[in-house]
Parts: sequence; C-alpha cells; structure tokens
Amino acid sequence: MSTLSFTHPTSWRCAACNQDLQPQKVAVTYLHSVFHVELMACSQCGFVLVPEDLAIGKMLEVEQLLEDK
Amino acid sequence: MDQQALRALEACCVQEEPPFCSAACPLRVDVRAFMAALTKGDTRSARRVLDRHMPFPAIVGRLCEAPCQAACKRIEVDSTLAIGLLERYCVAATEQVLKPPKMPAKGGRVAVAGGGLFGMTAALDLARKGREVHLFTPAKELGGTLEEKFRSHLPDDAFIQAASTLSGYGAHLHFQVRLDADALKAFAQDYEALCLDGNEIDMAGLPFAASTPDPVTLAVNDVGCFGGGAPNGPDFQVIRQVADGRRAALSVERFLQKVSLTAEREREGSISTRLFTSIEQVQPQAAILPASGAEYNSTEARAEASRCIQCECLECVKQCAFLQEFKEYPKTLVRRVYNNLSIVQGTRSANTMINSCSLCSQCTIICPHDFPMAALCRDARERMVQTEHMPPSAHDFALEEMRFTLGDACSLARHQPGMDASRYLFFPGCQLAGSAPEQVSATYQFLMDQLQGGVGLLLSCCGIPAQWAGDEALFQETLASLQATLDAFGKPELICACTSCLALVRKHLPAYASTSLWEILAALEHLPPECRTPTQPLALHDPCGARDNAGLRASVRQLCGRLGVQLHDTTMPEELADCCGYGGLMQFANQPLGRKAATVKAGRSEYPALAYCAMCRDNVAGAGKASAHLLEYLFPGKAGDDPLERANPGFSLRHENRSRLKEQLMHSLWQETAGDAPAHSALRLIIAPDLTSLLESRHILHEDVQKVIFHAEQGGNYLLNPENGHRLAKYKPVRVTYWVEYEATDNGFIVHNSYSHRMVLPEALP
Ligand code: SF4
Ligand code: SF4
Ligand SMILES: [Zn+2]
Repeated sequence: MSTLSFTHPTSWRCAACNQDLQPQKVAVTYLHSVFHVELMACSQCGFVLVPEDLAIGKMLEVEQLLEDK
Repeated sequence: MDQQALRALEACCVQEEPPFCSAACPLRVDVRAFMAALTKGDTRSARRVLDRHMPFPAIVGRLCEAPCQAACKRIEVDSTLAIGLLERYCVAATEQVLKPPKMPAKGGRVAVAGGGLFGMTAALDLARKGREVHLFTPAKELGGTLEEKFRSHLPDDAFIQAASTLSGYGAHLHFQVRLDADALKAFAQDYEALCLDGNEIDMAGLPFAASTPDPVTLAVNDVGCFGGGAPNGPDFQVIRQVADGRRAALSVERFLQKVSLTAEREREGSISTRLFTSIEQVQPQAAILPASGAEYNSTEARAEASRCIQCECLECVKQCAFLQEFKEYPKTLVRRVYNNLSIVQGTRSANTMINSCSLCSQCTIICPHDFPMAALCRDARERMVQTEHMPPSAHDFALEEMRFTLGDACSLARHQPGMDASRYLFFPGCQLAGSAPEQVSATYQFLMDQLQGGVGLLLSCCGIPAQWAGDEALFQETLASLQATLDAFGKPELICACTSCLALVRKHLPAYASTSLWEILAALEHLPPECRTPTQPLALHDPCGARDNAGLRASVRQLCGRLGVQLHDTTMPEELADCCGYGGLMQFANQPLGRKAATVKAGRSEYPALAYCAMCRDNVAGAGKASAHLLEYLFPGKAGDDPLERANPGFSLRHENRSRLKEQLMHSLWQETAGDAPAHSALRLIIAPDLTSLLESRHILHEDVQKVIFHAEQGGNYLLNPENGHRLAKYKPVRVTYWVEYEATDNGFIVHNSYSHRMVLPEALP
C-alpha cells in the first residue's frame, strides 16, 4: 500500500528534544479505518505535526467520508 | 421504518397530486406544464405536452369541451384559465412535435367496429401497444357521424391525417364495411377482442348476448367485447368519446393479458385531487379574451397562459430553510431518509440532511395534512445511533456541552436558602443560564420574594440535546436524574424558563407538575420593581418550543402589555414561529444552514427582536439583528446597558457563564464554595476578536484552549517556531484533538490560532 505524504519543510521544531522535524510514516486512525501517511514529526520523541491546512482540509474530508460510510 | 410506513408517510404529502385541471382531464393532460411552456412563448414544448397524452391532438385539441376548465383553481381568484381556447391556439400554431413510441408487436388481434372518436382512440392506443388492430367503418373516412358544428372547426384533411397516423402505427383501416349483425357476429368470433363504437353502432341491438357497458371496464360481456361512445345527441361529448376509447383500450389490454379488468382503476377518467394550493399571494389579473372574438393570437395566448398559478403545494418549503436547502419536499425527502436507513454498504448520503432538520414542526403546522417531519427525522437519528451509523461530528460538541452542564461544574439543586422544602423548583435551563446569568439570579430572587412555600433552584439540563441527537440512552439517563431530583424535592412544581424544557417535561414526565416562568410572572400582581420599558417598538419572536403552548404565548404577551412594550408580531407569529437554528441541533450538524435559519427568523420583522428563549435571543443577535430577552427588561442588569446591543455570547461565554453562575449563587445564597476549579481554568488567555469568532465556528471553547496550553506547558511538549517564538501544542481531552498556536507572555498566553481534527494520531492511541 502506498503511503500518502503530507510532508513539507517547516520552521516548527520539537521544543522538548530540541530537534528539527523529519518526514515520518505514521498510522492515523478514525472509526475503525487506518491510514498510513507520511507527516512531519520529531525523530526523537515522535511528536507528530498536523498543520492547520491538513486538519481543516484533507483530514476533515476523509473524516466526513468515513462518518458517512 | 418499513415499506408500509414509508407509503403512509409519502401519501401524507400531496405535492405530487395532480393539479386541479389535470385531475379533471380524463386524458390527464399536463395542463400546468402546457401553460408553463406557453407562458415562455415555447409553443412547440406546449404541443409536446399535448402530443404526449392526447390522441389526435389536431382534432381533440380543437374540439375538447375542456372539463378541466371548470376545475381550474384560478376561479377562486378571478376566473379560470381559457384552457380550451389555448389548446386550440397551440394545435393550430404547431405541427406534431412528439410521436409517442409504438411498442413491439405482441400478437392479440382486435377488431374495432366503428370509426368515430371512440373507435379511433381505442384503435390508436391498442396499435401503439403492439396489438394487431382492424378498424371497420361504414363510412368512407374516419370520424363517425361527427356533426358539422364540430367538423367546421377542423382543417379539411383532419381525418385523413388521423387515418395516416393510425396506419403509421400499423392499424388496418377498412372503410365502407357494412356493420350489420352478421359482420358483428363474425368480428366477435374471429378476433380475440372487440371494441364497439356507439357512435356508429346501435348498442341496444347487438346480435349476441350483451349488457350495457360496465362503467369501469366498458365490458358488455365477459368474452372480450367492449363498448363506449355515444350517438349524436345531447349526450354526445367529444371528450367522452375519446376518454371511453382510452378506457376500452386499457380493458382490452388487460383482457388480452388475462389480468383483472377492475383492479386499481380508480385513478382513470376525471378524478378528484388532494392537492393543496394557496392562493393567498396570487394577484387578480383579468382574463384575456381574443380580440378577434374567436381565436387567440400569440401575444394573447402568452398573456392568458401566464395567468396560470402553476398549482402546487410546497407550503412547508416556502417557509422552511431546511427544506429549501435540500431542494426536497417531504414526499421526496421521506424516501431519501428511508433509502439512507436501508443502506448496508456504501455511502449514506442523506446523513447530513437527516441531521439538519430543526425538528421544530413548523412544517407540520403549515401542512394541510400535518406531515410529521420532525418525528421522521428524529426517529431516523435514533436508528442511526442504534446501528452505530451516526456521524460523531454531528452532535458531539452539543452533547459534550450537555454533559458539562449536567456535571459538577454547572449543576446545582437546592431548596430555597433557609428552607428544607420546596413548593416550586425554578429551572432556568442550560441556555438561559449561559446567556443571561445575571437575569437568572435576579429572577430567582424575585420568585423567592413573591411565591410562598419555598422556591428551590435547579441548574441543569433537561436532556433535549440528547433527544434531538437520537441518543435515547443518554436522554433516558438524563430524564431519570431529573425525575430523581423532582422526587427528592418532594415533587415541587417545576418552573421552566425555557419553552423547550417545559414541552419536554410535560411530554416525558407528565405525572409531575410543571409550568412556565411566564405564566408564573403573568399571574403575579406586580412586575419586578426594577423593570424597564423598552424605548423602541419591538417584534416578539416566539420560539419554536412554544408552538404547542398558546397559554404560555398569551402570558408573554400579557407581560409585554403590562411592561408597556410597543409590541409587533413577526410575519410568522405564535404557532407558526421559525426555529432560530438551535432546534434539533441544526446549527451543530449543519453550521451554514443554522446561520441561514437564524437569518430567516431575524428577517421576519423590521423591528428589533424581543425573544423569550435564550437561544432565539442569541442566534437572532448572531444574525446581526438587535435582539433582547424579555427578562433583560423585567430584570435589567446592574450596568444598565441596552440589552439590544448585547452580542451573541457564543458557546465559550455561555459555557463559562454556566459554571460561574453556579459558583456565584452557591456563594451568595448558600454561603458555600463550589468545588475546586480545574487547574487549567486559571490560565489567562488573550484572544483577538476575529479569532474568537473563528474558534466559535470551529466549536473550540476557550476552555479547550486552556487545556491544550496547560498540558503543553506542564510537560514541555510543544513545537517551537524559532522565527517568532510561537508555540504549537495539541491535546485530546475526549475524542477531538485540539491544536493551539500561542505565545507565552507575562500577561498571559496570546492565542494566535486553533484548529482541531478527529483523526487519531499514533501517540494518542491507548
Ligand atoms: S405542506 Fe409540505 S408536506 Fe404538506 S403536503 Fe404540502 S408539500 Fe407536502
Ligand atoms: S391555475 Fe393552472 S395549474 Fe392551476 S388549475 Fe388552473 S390551469 Fe391548472
Ligand atoms: Zn521531540
């Protein structure tokens, strides 16, 4: 299964680990469905960034699709 | 919902019933569509309408006695449409546009004896059905014995054209055949079915056993012989000949298919219609008469056709933002709901629709047949919850708010200070406590001063959001706890400030005494001493929750009168009132539609709004209309501000007000302190006004923002943007993950942005 990537250069850094964010494969879930996506995350502690445009865009779209299934 | 329930609901809505004209037309010509086309000057489309249902339009269109005309609704306004004349105009101005198809030949030899309009129509309909038809007439031409007074209206070649139409469909025409006893006997023997045209045949002297035609089937015996039409004379009507011909053809079809001749034939011929059409908005407009004295010219025809009302019902749709939004009327909507509930696999495309109805029952009041839309949508929601198909995002926010109101932070039940019994229990309801806490305190004080026997206080929620959301379990649980409180207080009379609470309690806890705050106040001798008369005229916006409570609405009007309000009604007053968008949780499941509903309600009067429901007050204010709650005049705030200028407090402020109200009342009346506030609530937020409205529309409470920042700062888990020093943190209190971008300053946390999602990130998994 191919992994959708939502990575992009970002100025956000992990404050706790003092690390830049790196593309990372993560599994996000909603209503019994699992999606493998690539997001920016802290390579040390794994803090995953969901930027605003993703949250109110593609993510919302998928959430609504799943809710109507 | 089963098929039967679906049918019953569908039948309740009359929008698809035929208009009055078409119902009266035995051919069921779509006169309404015909008029619409003519009004546009589209004569060809008008002709297409005739071609579809009318046999031989060039003849029937000119000669029909137009029984439809007497049925035309317009008579109730001024005078009927000149349907007959307009049809004549149309067939004269056009050639045939639509040629109804011929079905594949399927055997079945039928003789038609007689070439009058009855025989012609029967032959045409049967030929189109693919039957082998032989028409016999003693004449040299079709038309039977049609008299000159009719023929003079027809073009010379009308019957020659008709013959070629019939031949075109494969009918065999036999002219100059003697239709004597031997011939008829032979037809009866040689053909599988026989149609007898009474215009050329003496139906009383048939050479075989026969009775008069059965009025429903036109059968004269049970071996396939049918008769209709009439000889010239007072009984002769062109439309009767044609209608009988059609009826006979249908009987022959059934006879040949060996199915019941009689079943379900009630809707043939002229019928009555259940359609409702309002003529309230129809302006009188004089009938157009042809200047020539005989026929219309095109300008006249267009003008006359434009008088057509285009009869339909849609009474509910005219008022309801929800029905307008989904471009449905209840009859079509109920099928979509049914289909949505029946889906096993696949997209439930009607979820949002089902969750968008405000359940306010305005349509039911308006509908001539009381269509039960609210029950339909609410039951569908309950079903969706039961089957785990309710989209969580639809009602989560509202239900979380309800849980918060029911929880320790906001709920309170106490006897009047210094007493240990309550004759009354004041129940302001969750939204009033959120919107106007100061008025709740003042009202409670006034009630304690005025009423004997003790007035307890109940800060809580009646559970209606759960009921609206279809969450029956949560609703029953809430109701049970309300009931337990009432029992524990010795069954006091519940005084509801909210009309929806009252309606719910009366319906679901009928054994308990309940009344409205408004009736209590109206019955008191004096108004509150501090009350203030509004300085400008106001329009009273009844809430949808008071729809079934005329006494309550009268009490409010009485109070307004005593207060000296220059009161106006809206255009949808009393039991017709619109919902403000809160009802049925519409504004949560469908935010844009909720706004539209509030705007519609606000627009029902030019005057500033006076409401007696907290949500109406706030939503109408949110729609940009100056709006006050009646309690704000009865118990003006200490600051003396103009209540009409108060903005919609929004979810966040209502949320905070509810817990603050409990804290204050516990302190001031019972000298108790509320439990410790959660640590995050101490965080000071600095939020710009336009961000506040963004948070409102994203359903993010200030408290959610506080929680995010509190957790981030505690654990040091956040992202940092070195360029501007902003922090970005997330937190998932229950199901939603909230993100906040903020800046830590000495004065508090400046909030720059906030958003949320429901998808669950890996580190948040259990
Ligand atoms: S008011 Fe609405 S529900 Fe009632 S018959 Fe008319 S279109 Fe149908
Ligand atoms: S107003 Fe128009 S649609 Fe209504 S009954 Fe008359 S012709 Fe028919
Ligand atoms: Zn880290």
